Amino acid sequence: MSNVTVPATTEQAVRRVAIAGNPNCGKSTIFNALTGLRQKVGNYPGVTVERKEGSFFGSHGEPMNLLDLPGSYSLQIRSPDEAVARDVLLGRLPGIARPDVIVAVIDASNLERNLYLVAQLLELELPVVVALNMVDMAEKAGVLIDLAALRELLGVPVIPMVATKGVGMVELKQALSQTPLSKPKHRAPFQPLMEEEARALAGQLPVPAEVAFPEALLLLSLHDQALDELAAHDSKVIEATRQAQHRLRQAGLDPISALVDARYAWIHTVCHASVSGSGVGDGLSASDRIDMVFTHRIWGWAVFLAIMGLMFFCIFTVAQYPMDWINGGCDWVAEWVGSQMREGDLRSLVTDGIIAGVGGVVIFLPQILILYFFLGILEDTGYMARAAFIMDRLMSRVGLHGKSFIPLLGSFACAIPGIMATRTIENRKDRLVTILVAPLMSCSARLPVYAIMIAVLIPIASGFAKAGIMLCMYLLGIVTAFLMAWFLKTRIFKGETPMLLLEMPPYRMPSFRSIGLRMWERAGLFLRRAGTVILALSVLLWALATYPKPPDKEATPSEALSYSFAGRMGHAIEPIIAPLGFDWKIGIGLIGSFAAREVFVSTMSIVYNVENSEEDDESLVPLRDTMRNETRGDGSPVFTPLVCIGLMVFYVLAMQCISTVAVVRRETNSWRWPLFQLAYMTALAYVATLVVYQGGRLLGYQ
Amino acid sequence: MNPWLDQIAVGVIVSGALGFFVLRFFRNRKRNGGDCGGGCCAVKKK
Repeated sequence: MSNVTVPATTEQAVRRVAIAGNPNCGKSTIFNALTGLRQKVGNYPGVTVERKEGSFFGSHGEPMNLLDLPGSYSLQIRSPDEAVARDVLLGRLPGIARPDVIVAVIDASNLERNLYLVAQLLELELPVVVALNMVDMAEKAGVLIDLAALRELLGVPVIPMVATKGVGMVELKQALSQTPLSKPKHRAPFQPLMEEEARALAGQLPVPAEVAFPEALLLLSLHDQALDELAAHDSKVIEATRQAQHRLRQAGLDPISALVDARYAWIHTVCHASVSGSGVGDGLSASDRIDMVFTHRIWGWAVFLAIMGLMFFCIFTVAQYPMDWINGGCDWVAEWVGSQMREGDLRSLVTDGIIAGVGGVVIFLPQILILYFFLGILEDTGYMARAAFIMDRLMSRVGLHGKSFIPLLGSFACAIPGIMATRTIENRKDRLVTILVAPLMSCSARLPVYAIMIAVLIPIASGFAKAGIMLCMYLLGIVTAFLMAWFLKTRIFKGETPMLLLEMPPYRMPSFRSIGLRMWERAGLFLRRAGTVILALSVLLWALATYPKPPDKEATPSEALSYSFAGRMGHAIEPIIAPLGFDWKIGIGLIGSFAAREVFVSTMSIVYNVENSEEDDESLVPLRDTMRNETRGDGSPVFTPLVCIGLMVFYVLAMQCISTVAVVRRETNSWRWPLFQLAYMTALAYVATLVVYQGGRLLGYQ
Repeated sequence: MNPWLDQIAVGVIVSGALGFFVLRFFRNRKRNGGDCGGGCCAVKKK
């Protein structure tokens, strides 16, 4: 037999780096700092856990792939997110190669707890580089770390870093560029019998030799029930594990606690030799002092509401300038295109369909970016955890788990990642309740709808008044979500809610580079969506609002719209929506926006531009003014204050998002829950809007 | 523009938009679910 050397392909030459670490230790900051704009977001195959991947160049210019793993405290999983991190590191996920090197990010101010995951990573027999992040915070907290001792005891490179300031990035790249990368020299020592049993079990596992030992350790640390539920191994392996566990117990060793104890004993030795200083300052730290106000029973709420109020105020005032520029740009493009083309359906399609439809949505990009800017700041500063803490008091009263707060907060951006984030909730009932109420949180797609309705409602009011109405809509979503959660928890998903255990990271300066990158990423996604889905929908909606044409050539635009497919659909649902104060044109908007809520604005742009196209030479009449001037047959205005508020209430509560339905189906693995959710949210929206409109009229409002 | 050409151009664009959604539907069925627009649902393969 001859030895054959397989030539290294380009793909093999690219080093695969995985970033692992506890939540809130700065993994994503390091990931963003290394990859910059060379990153993409997707899902892991088969599951909906977010997968962030990027590329960067090592210190010698060699290309490397970087994978940001979900945060986890150990490889003993408690949630689907942690399962993904473990499976990637063990090379279990099909289609994702096992990494060549792991960057273990640890929070220097919380070394002991962070080292548990490192202890397990060192057992994986993969090269590890420890990124000792937030050393500045540790120093401020009085924790002094002897780097030489830590390197010696861990047996791997340890890079002190302040990722938010870029400190240590060069050294990290140098460590990752080392060739060859050396495997860890040390790991936590186990008792000889445990070591022996783990080796013996590893020999029986049908997995590659390099992952057999860590797989065996993970198997030995599983309790009986977990072994029963195990799907990754066959029955022979499970039986062999049970026998090994039995032998260990007979020898007086509890296999589960023995492994944990051994690791903690080793961590204690490492910390004892490398950490000096108590880690506790002379008095309260700055974070503690801030928390005395920010997590106060009363002041905490005041701060929370003030931050939310400021966010919405900025969304209305600061965003107005770029919105005006975009609006002006769209007007100019429409005018120019209109002047270059002869009159006909094609010109109408381009100006009234494409430019009005896409422009009507793109104009809201600045507001969405400001929303993401604030969410980024809140997350990076560590305020999110405080907000979760404040909300937990309220949430526990309605039976929701404190961990539900992050998914619910995430749903302000988009319900889809919010629903995906529920996987951190271990209890199935709590998770289902959170999934069912998450779409009630006002997502960024509702922002354009609120913005246009508020503009129609109070066109010349101050930013404060507009922000106030917007805040009310967000609060309505929150309150309804809590009431529904209470109803579901007391009627359908009865059960105890586990106590909230939450880590409060110290307050830190946000990384504006990271936030900027996130905003860039979201802007790209929003514009891509505007250029694909919204564009195609605008074309189709224009066609539906234009064809068939009325046989009477002298028909008015209103008669022509009424004769079209869209008009017929609007008329078909008019009897149902008339009690809400909506006419058939709003009905067209409601139907169109079931695909995505923001399409309501582009539908309205198309409907009113189509209608006005022959009355006005300007192809893009500002939508707000057109809607304000719209009248019914009897001459009364269509968009009265009650109709505007009713429409906003409808959009707060209705499940107008087909993608969310699909994701809930996937997450709950059945059609039962998405259909239930669709039914209850639509009913809720209808009844609430009916109460607003009819109740308002009874009270004498219009 | 010739009215026929005008109608053909409109027909092509509208058919393209319709085709986009049909293709998207089949592509999403093959992949791991739909695209929410948040960019977090689509599986991106190398």
